[in-house]
Amino acid sequence: MKTIIVACGSGVATSQTVASKVDKLCKERKIPAKVMAVDIKSLEQNIRIADVYISIAPSNKDYGIPTISGIPFLTGVGMEETMDQLEEILKK
Amino acid sequence: MLDKELIYLDLEAKDREDLLSQLSDILYEKGYVKSSFKQAILDREKVFPTGLPTLGVKVALPHTDPEHVLKPAILVSTLKKPIKFKEMGSGVNDIDVEMVFMLAVKDPAYQVKLLQKLISIFSKENVLLSLKECEDAQCVYNILYGELY
Repeated sequence: MKTIIVACGSGVATSQTVASKVDKLCKERKIPAKVMAVDIKSLEQNIRIADVYISIAPSNKDYGIPTISGIPFLTGVGMEETMDQLEEILKK
Repeated sequence: MLDKELIYLDLEAKDREDLLSQLSDILYEKGYVKSSFKQAILDREKVFPTGLPTLGVKVALPHTDPEHVLKPAILVSTLKKPIKFKEMGSGVNDIDVEMVFMLAVKDPAYQVKLLQKLISIFSKENVLLSLKECEDAQCVYNILYGELY
């Protein structure tokens, strides 16, 4: 099963919400994936086990895994397209 | 977390810093947050901006770590004039924000469901537009209450 990691500044509201949304959409599309929400400070330790990183906080780092923006999951704008992108990445 | 006394319409502010200061002061004076909250909010917004390019009405979601919070709260404010926030995620684009939801989260695990419902409102253009058209706090409260509970 693939692992998706979501990180935001304080791990308080946005990363949990995006993680929950992505989890629900993955189930709807029958994509087997585990979604984790962390705060940006814990990202370094956890990113090694992740297959995809959903970003909602600015970062210049390249973690060497596919990265997509999590903002569409908060605004609803472009959400389906972003899910399509995610599905493509996870299929590989 | 939702309270009629924490809803402010047509707030005026010089800029983002002034706005965030005013809102933090409200939460502090009402006993929801510690005095450290204001600086934490200002600092965090610079590094992890919270402007969202939502449809209908652009919003911002300033919040910071639970250590600065005494009691959980959602402070809702509509702005007299849009104020620029940087976009969440990229931190590059400017968003002309018209409605701000300042969050004081004390216990993330416990409050996550409510916050998720709040954030799901951001994808509902018609709800955001209705909130903007409200003429008083009771109107805002009723709409939010219906969506959150």
